[in-house]
Amino acid sequence: MKPDINIALLNAAQEIINRFSPLIEDEYERSRLGSWGALILISAMKLNDASSSLRKENMDIVDWLNKYSNIDEKDLDTLSSFNGKSLDQYDEDNQKLRALLNSEIEKLEMLHDKDSLKQSINLMRSMHKRRSVSDLIGLLQQSEN
Amino acid sequence: MSQELSSSFLDYYTEFSEREYSLISFERVFGGASRETYKIHVKDKSENEEKLILRISQDSSLIDTDQKTEYLAYSAFQDSKVPVPVMIDMSEEDNKLGASFMLMRELKGEAATPFTPDVYSPHEEELGNQFWSILGNIAKHEINDEIFENFSKETKKPFWKNELDKWNKVIHEDSIGVEPILEAGIRYLYKNPPREKDFVSMVHGDYRSGNFLYLDNKITGILDWEMAHLGDPLEDLGWALSPIWSWQDKDRPAYLVKREDALTIWKDSSGIEINESDLEWWELFAAVKGMAIWISAGHEFKSGKNTDPINLFSAWIPGDIHLEIILDILEKNI
Repeated sequence: MKPDINIALLNAAQEIINRFSPLIEDEYERSRLGSWGALILISAMKLNDASSSLRKENMDIVDWLNKYSNIDEKDLDTLSSFNGKSLDQYDEDNQKLRALLNSEIEKLEMLHDKDSLKQSINLMRSMHKRRSVSDLIGLLQQSEN
Repeated sequence: MSQELSSSFLDYYTEFSEREYSLISFERVFGGASRETYKIHVKDKSENEEKLILRISQDSSLIDTDQKTEYLAYSAFQDSKVPVPVMIDMSEEDNKLGASFMLMRELKGEAATPFTPDVYSPHEEELGNQFWSILGNIAKHEINDEIFENFSKETKKPFWKNELDKWNKVIHEDSIGVEPILEAGIRYLYKNPPREKDFVSMVHGDYRSGNFLYLDNKITGILDWEMAHLGDPLEDLGWALSPIWSWQDKDRPAYLVKREDALTIWKDSSGIEINESDLEWWELFAAVKGMAIWISAGHEFKSGKNTDPINLFSAWIPGDIHLEIILDILEKNI
């Protein structure tokens, strides 16, 4: 079995940060390369879950829309089909679902529907948590050092 | 690019100063998304050395501000309680160095990265006192008439709407996709505006940890005034307090002193009372403005206009943090 893409990226990032970057004398170029190393490291850590995370996010938005909006389930049919889609297709669906979610939340705000708005916050928080890379901030500090 | 620039600079500076100079060093400083910044060390024939900072406009810049704005803002605080570098020259033409630029004397001190906890240890308290007190001084500083006149041209009332409209426009021009959290934040701001002040302050526009120089326990300079404008002083306070600048220790804004202490120092220094709900509005605004900057960075990177990794970094990590801050404030106010 061949090593996975994320393993290749992880090693490339480590080499950039620890081996090549310190050899550069120019401070600007050294910092710039170090930052690339850290960003590749983050990419490698997120690569494996990219597709499944997006699929899960789309499922959660569809569920929320079915529960809290008046959009007909049939209108969500194409967007709620999850089998055999590529990452790009999930991403395309995601953009449409996010636009729908945004307009439905705006309607709830106008109705001052607090309970449904709380549920919308919960959904947005779970979406954000799944995508977030802010917990990897330490990697960038490491590369700067 | 750097070699060509250093040679053009030497020609320009020799002519400007009417003295012959030679270069000791010419180094670009990493970071900063709106200008290229260079540390320059020159000496004349009598071996007198000078340390200079050159800020030059980039082809691709996140924040479209002219050099004059920044130059005037620095000029407004020369010889005041707000430490700023001495200005030497400014040019809005590109015939000297290929782009508009500003030249100033280098101040002693170093700037920290805003994302590193305990970076000011063991001087957090002394630096914190100065940091919040200087911000209070900016808020109450009387601006000279000529400079005030220049900034007034860009200012419409109410201040909050002027600023929110500006950044909302950036978000919707540069956004790669729909972000429901951010849209909800923007709607909240428009629906719940703060009270308009009956006085006007100079707003730094990016007053935060990382944008000041310090030497041990002393702040030696306040930098990066390119987003300066007239407006509500709570705007700077909200931006400087933002948890993004102390993400790993949120109770100690800017990784300096406790929030309540920071507010007391600012109030004592500025003589301005703080309305909590107005301040909260400006703290939410800070997160939305931050998002506009990070979205703009992501757009520059994705479009290939500027592939500096700082743009990708900005779109990823600070963008994530500001979204979380928006969510926290929205949740609190449902």
